[in-house]
Amino acid sequence: MESQNTQDFTGFLIGRPVIVKLNSGVDYRGILACLDGYMNIALEQTEELVNGQVKNQYGDTFIRGNNGNQTQQQRERRDAFYHRLYASHSHNNRQNH
Amino acid sequence: MEDHAPLEGPGIEEPLDLVKLSLDERIYVKLRGDRELRGKLHAYDGHLNMVLGDVEETITVVDVNEDTMEEVVRTVRRNCEMLFVRGDGVILVSPPSRSA
Repeated sequence: MESQNTQDFTGFLIGRPVIVKLNSGVDYRGILACLDGYMNIALEQTEELVNGQVKNQYGDTFIRGNNGNQTQQQRERRDAFYHRLYASHSHNNRQNH
Repeated sequence: MEDHAPLEGPGIEEPLDLVKLSLDERIYVKLRGDRELRGKLHAYDGHLNMVLGDVEETITVVDVNEDTMEEVVRTVRRNCEMLFVRGDGVILVSPPSRSA
């Protein structure tokens, strides 16, 4: 990846599947449509995950910044970085090591 | 500088455009404190302060039975003709018609 700064990185993520984690422990999985400087985020094909289980599905969602967002790229071939981050919040299907 | 084509067509360049396109539509709003709203979006601003009409509010309450320590989840619903929502309580906004 050739991202030089965070904006490059988030620009690079647009159109890709991401996981947005809120401080509350709820995760949103979807396609990143766009985001702004407040970290307001628009997702498509959104799944809401609580404790790793899908609780809701929305076509489009606006997630307000300032809810403690962390965005992660969700890759087809999940690399070690992703695995480690994901496992740290996962309670069900992924091994925790 | 925006070299990517917005996925949702020309209407959406920033996240708030999604809210703009929902004006006069019924939307779903998830709030802090296990509250949800469904209502028609009349107005909003950049803080996500919103004016909603014909609103149904759903509050999820967890009661703990002190003897058995059992958690009982129940929902309380109420309706409002018109509601002003302060933006800092908003977690998520979605047009409900497209939600599954």
